[in-house]
Amino acid sequence: MAELQLDNITKTFDDGGDEIVAVDDVSIDIQDGEFLVLVGPSGCGKSTTLRTIAGLETITDGAIRLGGEVINDKRPQDRDTAMVFQSYALYPHMTVRENMSFGLEESTDLPDDEIRERVTDTAEMMGIAELLDRKPGELSGGQQQRVALGRAIVRNPAAFLMDEPLANLDAKLRAQMRTELQRLQENLDVTTVYVTHDQTEAMTMGDRIAILDDGELQQVGTPLECYHEPSNLFVAGFIGEPSMNTFEAHTDGDRLVAERFEYALSERHEDAIDGDNVVFGIRPEDVEVGSDPDDSHTYEVVVDVVEPKGDENYVHMAFDADRENPETFTATIGGLRRVEAGDTVVVRFPPEAVHLFDGDTGEAVLNRSLDTVEDVEPLL
Amino acid sequence: MRSRILRVLGASDEDDPETAEPDVRTDGGTTSDAAAASGETSRLGQWLDSEFAKSLPFWLPATLLVGLFVYGAIGWNFLISLTDWQGLRQPTYESLDFEMYTRFFDSVFAGGLLSGPQEYWALRNTFVLLVVFTVAALAVGLLLAILVDRDIRFENTFRTIYLLPMSLSFVVTAIFWAWMYNPESGLINQTLGAVGLGSLAQQWISDPQYKLFAVMFALVWQFSGYAMVVYLAGLRAIPSDQYEAAKVDGASLLKMYWRVIVPQLRASTTSAAVVLMVFALKAFDFLYVMFGTRPGPSADILAMMMYRESFGTTNWAYGSAIAMILFALALGVIAPYLYLQFKRGEL
Amino acid sequence: MATQQSDSSFAWNRIALYATLGLLVAFYLSPLESAIMTAFKTQTGFFETSPLVPPTPSTFTLDAWGQAFNRLQGGLVNSLLFTIPATLLSATLGSLVAYGLTNTNWRGQAFVLVLLIAGIFIPYQSVLVPLSRFWSVVDPATIFSWLPPVANRSGLVALAVTHTAYGVPITTLLFRAHYKSLDSSMLEAARLDGASIAKIYRRIILPLSIPMFAVTLIYQFTNIWNDLLFALVLIQQPSNDVVTISLTALQGSMVSQYNLQMAGAFITALPTLLVYILFGEQFAEGVAGGGA
Repeated sequence: MAELQLDNITKTFDDGGDEIVAVDDVSIDIQDGEFLVLVGPSGCGKSTTLRTIAGLETITDGAIRLGGEVINDKRPQDRDTAMVFQSYALYPHMTVRENMSFGLEESTDLPDDEIRERVTDTAEMMGIAELLDRKPGELSGGQQQRVALGRAIVRNPAAFLMDEPLANLDAKLRAQMRTELQRLQENLDVTTVYVTHDQTEAMTMGDRIAILDDGELQQVGTPLECYHEPSNLFVAGFIGEPSMNTFEAHTDGDRLVAERFEYALSERHEDAIDGDNVVFGIRPEDVEVGSDPDDSHTYEVVVDVVEPKGDENYVHMAFDADRENPETFTATIGGLRRVEAGDTVVVRFPPEAVHLFDGDTGEAVLNRSLDTVEDVEPLL
Repeated sequence: MRSRILRVLGASDEDDPETAEPDVRTDGGTTSDAAAASGETSRLGQWLDSEFAKSLPFWLPATLLVGLFVYGAIGWNFLISLTDWQGLRQPTYESLDFEMYTRFFDSVFAGGLLSGPQEYWALRNTFVLLVVFTVAALAVGLLLAILVDRDIRFENTFRTIYLLPMSLSFVVTAIFWAWMYNPESGLINQTLGAVGLGSLAQQWISDPQYKLFAVMFALVWQFSGYAMVVYLAGLRAIPSDQYEAAKVDGASLLKMYWRVIVPQLRASTTSAAVVLMVFALKAFDFLYVMFGTRPGPSADILAMMMYRESFGTTNWAYGSAIAMILFALALGVIAPYLYLQFKRGEL
Repeated sequence: MATQQSDSSFAWNRIALYATLGLLVAFYLSPLESAIMTAFKTQTGFFETSPLVPPTPSTFTLDAWGQAFNRLQGGLVNSLLFTIPATLLSATLGSLVAYGLTNTNWRGQAFVLVLLIAGIFIPYQSVLVPLSRFWSVVDPATIFSWLPPVANRSGLVALAVTHTAYGVPITTLLFRAHYKSLDSSMLEAARLDGASIAKIYRRIILPLSIPMFAVTLIYQFTNIWNDLLFALVLIQQPSNDVVTISLTALQGSMVSQYNLQMAGAFITALPTLLVYILFGEQFAEGVAGGGA
């Protein structure tokens, strides 16, 4: 049980004289017992970051502390961390029991009967006790996944490191393992760093999520912070499905002029804006479809494509439907509301839902207002 | 370039760790760099702790053995080829020159007539063997592979039979074929007679006109199974969708193979060709058993001539020079191939 | 791979296909068939009947087999004596080298690998003269003079060591292909579990190498058993003659005794034929993976 601190860690690879920066000056403090998700597109440095914590990569600069102690020059097996791999990395020629005992045999002086007992206990907790004498090849993907987790848990580490552990499961099992893993982590209360490229996984599992792009840390925060208050355009675009709609624009007095539309700015907006170039952003669910054309902030647009999802529809719309490749934006509407491609509809971009970003740096200058957040009254 | 080779070999300490492919390379975590940064361990300690030092016991002894026997020997052979060592005395390494090589090439260029020098014939036959045998073995191997790949029953049995000659020693196959080629009782001439082609019967291995052809025919018999195995692996790697797509496109069977399948076997062809050429350069054992050390100008090859010069007439220096020429030939075949393999990351 | 055709040409295509395959089988087996029939015939038998026809009671004889075996038995024993250690050694060393150069990480592996793999393709002629010099300077008979059973077989010791050295490149390549295909995160997991490089080899790699050992041992056994060239150069005393040399000698001295030659050839080929019939799959895998 310990907190894990990444202090300005940097990792560069030498590619035939060219230096490639895989992790660029990343600092994150992970609380004791916290579930932190490292998320980002492939190539962003999230796996490398995790591997530096495990000791599978050296860091070029910075420090990694676990429980206050610097661990980055320790050997991997001495770091008191356990890792779960995407491929599960089980030893195919060993039984489940041997797989789970291997680490205890190699890295501790525990007597055999104690190892046996710990493995049995862990297997029971994971619900894999009846699989102990089988080999990985005889297990289903989900069972192998559990064994991989069990192998990490049995070592009783100060921190778990998980590298896309659910990526090889089918969609249904993945959803199920997601909640199970969360519950398990909560019960064990062990600091966990979890790497994924899947923003849904990040949103639903993490106490906090850390978003990486191109080796640089973009934002660390709770899932809802990152969703509602993205610190920059990258986070705004990466978190949320479908992505936030963004339009490049410039200010003209109290109006924002984009290529296809103009937007009247409120005082709140104007106060935030600094500079001429602005990116205007709005989440698809905040786009009001079928508004009264006499309202402010309304536009007539043409429906380009409708993607029905059952519970809701993704509606892709264009200001300039006549063009060969119309620039579209997306709105989500209820599943029972019907629109068809080619319809002309009125949409409204409510001022309180607008995100504004600096057009040059991409930094958020104003996020949506959260004044309208409602609590669901608990029934009692 | 070096770094690319390193990466391709999977030996590099750089990587792209984000790729989903399982073969993520790592810098190993605890390299000596890490220890150096900590400044805690002694230099020797770091060195002993590095992966390099720990991997030494695994590869160094055997690598030294290979280094001595392969590269040490080739170096020594080159040295000997520069001397004028012959006869039963010990070699002396005092006056070194390229006289043996000039002697060889002078003879080659002086040659051309049937009574011409052995150098010319040995070199010419080596090239003929290299090219004709390789092409023929590839063609037969490809045919076998396509036939075996046609979704047949007892596929394993057929494959096993076609590959069987490859498991036999040259000594054994040479004895079999010497009997096959026997002018009176041999199977070849007997069969030709039986099907009414008796006029085609020849003194296969004593008539200089047919000697080399007879040798190559037997070698194709022995090694086409190898080409088949390589081509089969190549064919199996082509998704079956493509056969169906070609079919939907209306291609005839022959067209489909010629235009869709065969072009995709280029890699198999290259690697099989290289290995077959190396076999051809090593065809010594077969010729030795069939003809002894003097197969005559029509079937002599460099490998045989080298052996005859060195161990027959004790012209050690000259034999070594021929060996170096043979080595250069092999290098000419292999170096581009290995280089390509590295570039594609297939080693 | 063939897709089903509905028209009637399908049946004819299949018949033509099997007929071609059958003819090819006849071609590939005919030298063996002609040899085995000849080996069971008397001299008049094989000169007067077709080599494909089985012997009649009057031309049947087992004499050739008995005689050939008598001539070759010393060679068979000698061949086993050097082939088995050379096979085991080259396979074991290849496994170790492949592990050391594939699953550990340091600079310069590529260089070592290139040197090793190039060794596969060396024409043996280019090392013959130095090799014979080397083994006359480093004479196993002198080195093992305290151990007469070994000293008396100095040629076989030289052959075993030489074949081991020239076998390591190919066995390394075979094992390397296998080790590269292993899940690298599994090896990382073992490291995180605290296993040292040597422990990982013993507890993870070695147990997972068993199928590859089968391939390598079979391939190497066949290669080493079948070799003639090194034996010609390195074996000095007739008592050390290996079976390929004995067979060559038999062929040379029994020029027109084809039945004896064929029986001898079969006896020589028997160990590799047996291995091939029992482990054809593994042999094919070795051939495909290694080539030379």
